[in-house]
Amino acid sequence: MSTIQFQQVTKDYAGGFTAVKNLSFEIASGELVFLAGHSGAGKSTLLKLIAGIEQPTSGTVLVNKQNLARLSRSSLPYVRRHIGLIFQDHKILFDRSVYDNVALPLDIIGFDGREAKRRVQAALDKVGLAGKEKLNPVALSGGEQQRLCIARAVVHRPAILLADEPTANLDRDYANDILELFKSFHQVGVTIVISAHDESLMADYGRRILRLKHGQFTA
Amino acid sequence: MKHWFRLHTLALRHTLLGLLRHPLSSLLNLLVIAIAAALPLLLWLVLASLASVSNRLPVEPQISVFLKNGHDVAATKALEQELAARKGMAKVRFVPRDEALRQLEGATGTTDLLAGLGENPLPDAFVLTLHGTDAAPVEALHAELARHPLVEEVQVDSAWAQRLERLVALGRSVFEVLAGLLALALALITGNAIRMQILTRREEIEVARLIGATDAFIRRPFIHFAAVQGVLGGLLACGVVALLLARLNPAVSELAQAYGQQFALQLPDWRVLLAVCGATTLLTWSGAWVAVWRHLRQWR
Ligand SMILES: Nc1ncnc2c1ncn2[C@@H]1O[C@H](COP(=O)(O)OP(=O)(O)OP(=O)(O)O)[C@@H](O)[C@H]1O
Ligand SMILES: [Mg+2]
Repeated sequence: MSTIQFQQVTKDYAGGFTAVKNLSFEIASGELVFLAGHSGAGKSTLLKLIAGIEQPTSGTVLVNKQNLARLSRSSLPYVRRHIGLIFQDHKILFDRSVYDNVALPLDIIGFDGREAKRRVQAALDKVGLAGKEKLNPVALSGGEQQRLCIARAVVHRPAILLADEPTANLDRDYANDILELFKSFHQVGVTIVISAHDESLMADYGRRILRLKHGQFTA
Repeated sequence: MKHWFRLHTLALRHTLLGLLRHPLSSLLNLLVIAIAAALPLLLWLVLASLASVSNRLPVEPQISVFLKNGHDVAATKALEQELAARKGMAKVRFVPRDEALRQLEGATGTTDLLAGLGENPLPDAFVLTLHGTDAAPVEALHAELARHPLVEEVQVDSAWAQRLERLVALGRSVFEVLAGLLALALALITGNAIRMQILTRREEIEVARLIGATDAFIRRPFIHFAAVQGVLGGLLACGVVALLLARLNPAVSELAQAYGQQFALQLPDWRVLLAVCGATTLLTWSGAWVAVWRHLRQWR
């Protein structure tokens, strides 16, 4: 059963620049897929199309058999709650603690206080940030901030996890730690797409790699 | 339901904390709201107080006809019947001088005026009430009676009651315009304050939206903030106005007593309080709603 399905998807940005061109592919439920390509190849665009942050100019994006472009404004948020997003630019909120950053998705869904606390704690434990919940995120190292993003993306246990360059600017060992983390989510059945421009990291994992070049797949 | 309630109490707590986090700007906002609400409230209360006076007064023209002392009883009787038979006359009442004295004693609160004066200085009088509010027949009757041999003096009593009534009516129109303008200002001011808040929390809103926040979730803290400011602003307005009127009242009552009237400015009661807070809350709420809507509509 495929969770993510692209049918001849093209995305032109305002100004006429074509970021991805005529892409067709499927990602099965529970699959872990890498997305590789040079800077500007269209990796972020592709992930944004899956999350419904961008709409395709032509073609169809189906997530869990739902056409995101057809969803009403009021139902899109509910679809997004099944997706965990790790943004390339992190989007960490520096006006609140590590704990409150991770708790945000649960606030949005409306979790009961005690259950929320339990889940935030579990997510922070999982990424190795236990004990830092009271800190402001500025006090975290680059790698720790990356982990904070992961914790926030998985705290509400989404079925799909989209990670945009989660290993950028990290040394190789640290990057491998993070990929191991994703593997553990994969083992509990989460569908995962991870983008990176450094393909050498992915090779060791023996997973499917989607290679983008100027908005199109290469072999 | 429980979930909804939890979200709202959560947002309300955030709101109150937010108020405390920016005490100065919150206070300034509150003051502006309170002033915008206090001005029309003050005018309205003064008008309501005056209106209650003008209601107590006869608006139908009333003429007091004071008779010469030592007049002839039969001639007086004849005049009374002649007046009562006239067209447009509603009532003719004869007020003997003894009764007039007792009324005066009642109105001034003294018990034994005669002791001080020695003799009742008041004349017998007729009090005439006419139908309609036209000034012309009243003036004609005034002129005619003034020339009558039995009559010492004629006074038209209702003129100032009519003037007061017109003044109150004018005041009401001023109130309506003022209240309308200030209501608009209040909504706009709140809308602008909320717009500034949205700008400072833009990142948070963006992230929340990207990870599945509904419009309602994003709107909630701002709406709460505006509503709380509306309630507090309304309360503050009522408090300030009540204090002001309570301070003015002794002087006003004294002034009224000089004209033989019982009068005090009404203080806002609980219904007024409810109405003012309801109005300010509705206005700040709508201002905030529009501000958030304008921000949210940029996305699909
Ligand atoms: N909002 C936008 N408006 C206009 N052009 C855009 C926008 N976002 C991306 N692009 C363009 O689309 C192309 C693909 O961008 P995208 O961010 O998908 O690349 P990427 O593969 O993620 O690159 P990187 O590895 O640098 O993050 C780029 O050339 C970029 O300039
Ligand atoms: Mg990118």
